[in-house]
Amino acid sequence: MGKEAEPEKTRRKIFHIPEKLSTTNELSTVEVFATPVEPLHANALIRKLNQVAPLENLRHVKRIQKKIVEGKTLLSVILCLSNGDNTPHSMPAVLELIHEYKLHPFPTKVAKYAAVSKEEWEEQCKLWPTSYHPPTYNIDGIGGFSEVDSQMVFKFMKDTIDLAKSDGDQVVNAALIVDPSNRLVIASACDQTCLSPAASSKSMMESRSCTEEVGKSKVHFDVNEEENNEIVHLNGCNSKSLLLDSVACLHPWFWTQSQIENSTCNSGSIYPWHPLRHAAVVAIEKAAARDRDLFPLLEVSKGQSSLMDLLESPCLTSPSKKQKINDLKDKDEMLSETSVNCLPSDKLPSESSLNCLPSARPYLCTGFDIYLVWEPCTMCAMALVHQRIRRIFYAFPNPNTGALGSVYRLQGEKSLNHHYAVFRVMLPEEVLCSCCFD
Amino acid sequence: MPLNYVTSCVIVEDGKVISSGNNRTTETQNASRHAELEVIDVLLQQWQSMGFSPLEVAEKFSKCDLYVTCEPCIRCASALSILGIRDVYYGCANDKFGGCGSILSLHVGISDRLPNSKGCGQKGFMCTGGIMVSKAVSLLRTFYDQGNPNAPKPHTPI
Repeated sequence: MGKEAEPEKTRRKIFHIPEKLSTTNELSTVEVFATPVEPLHANALIRKLNQVAPLENLRHVKRIQKKIVEGKTLLSVILCLSNGDNTPHSMPAVLELIHEYKLHPFPTKVAKYAAVSKEEWEEQCKLWPTSYHPPTYNIDGIGGFSEVDSQMVFKFMKDTIDLAKSDGDQVVNAALIVDPSNRLVIASACDQTCLSPAASSKSMMESRSCTEEVGKSKVHFDVNEEENNEIVHLNGCNSKSLLLDSVACLHPWFWTQSQIENSTCNSGSIYPWHPLRHAAVVAIEKAAARDRDLFPLLEVSKGQSSLMDLLESPCLTSPSKKQKINDLKDKDEMLSETSVNCLPSDKLPSESSLNCLPSARPYLCTGFDIYLVWEPCTMCAMALVHQRIRRIFYAFPNPNTGALGSVYRLQGEKSLNHHYAVFRVMLPEEVLCSCCFD
Repeated sequence: MPLNYVTSCVIVEDGKVISSGNNRTTETQNASRHAELEVIDVLLQQWQSMGFSPLEVAEKFSKCDLYVTCEPCIRCASALSILGIRDVYYGCANDKFGGCGSILSLHVGISDRLPNSKGCGQKGFMCTGGIMVSKAVSLLRTFYDQGNPNAPKPHTPI
């Protein structure tokens, strides 16, 4: 489903991971009676059939099929469900039409369920044409990405991989929460299950340069410059020694075996290590902290009235801006507004928030994207549901515990109160490397 | 004063409550801060400060039981499975998010759940639900009746 951003770079793709497993391999079908029909009569016949034999539970199935054989257009229409009969004798109204138009019914099969992916839809149409409505919810990207948006996705995925490799000599997962409306990074984090996040930057630098020395045969990530384009390469793929044990989502139970060395347990954090601090979890926590930091007044508030107070305070904005805000009836409109308000200095909670203040407080991570190197486990994927993430992009599937297509498919759990769209981002060297991630 | 506590949770070791907590989703703006995670974090912090290694912490959790008013959600059930808790007892089932049988069954041992998991040795935890259901449900009802002050419109008015 993913649209190729650059046709000449065939290995750089974004695939939508649909909410239901595509049933391409075992297409469920229903038996129906169809009939060839003269083009002249097609419209009238379909109108009548829709009245006497509506296809109630097959709304995705098109009533008419058009085939071009040897330059000649052949039309067929569905008369009715077969219900296991050999002829449509059980429906008098349909029989009448058969006599009236001198039709020649034949049994055929149509897809039982609406397609959930473009691939499945194409399979269905080989039987009989169906309609396909990609988004059950309207999230950008499900129907394909524009060139500009693709570039953004590739850039942030590359940043995420860079982040993962910056974490020392262990392979870890990394997470980047991004506001796509202004391309602002909201939070970033690596797995913190084994190592202290606050391992001093100095020792981190040392261990990194050390890794790079040894790295030629062992190091996992490398970034090359090619044709003026930054392309992410994952090198060292021949090496089976590539240890993925420390990727928390791939091996959530590995923490019990991790050795905690004193040198790495230097902690600015209250937890030198924490079995549940997977990259996505830490990123959510940072996003929540940023939220509290940016909107401190709301923390003690009783509700949204104070949000409006804050936004409408006279010192906040220019009169025109204020007017604009007052005119907004719906907070959602405010959420989508990407303009930047500057709070007066006495209201600024911290230096970090100086750059860009959203005009309104988004509810949790509503509207935000998260980039992950590996498909999240059930714990992380559900935390992202709770936090109302809008889209998830990951580079590698997680065959052990992946919750977004590999083992489970949370994006398709109808009972949940929030559904994000999930995409896999294929980067160059992906095929080459996939072997060592299995 | 708004009642923020929709679920409460305790962890029991050797018949004694060693940690207790409530969900802190609203005040932290982190929708994952369910009561289970609050009680877990108290223990993790405590045991680490006592110098326990990851393996020792895992052994501690394997002798602990968790009691919670509502079936752990998918996220919490995963977390409890990762930590290797022994037993879980809950009040009402969670038919929207439940991770202990309602939606997913993350309490089932991974080798039973995922045949391809190459036997990483992770055991499931025993789960018993339906304890004092009506009381648990009334807690939830009180919480949801008051609405979520942070929720976007359109939503339950406060």
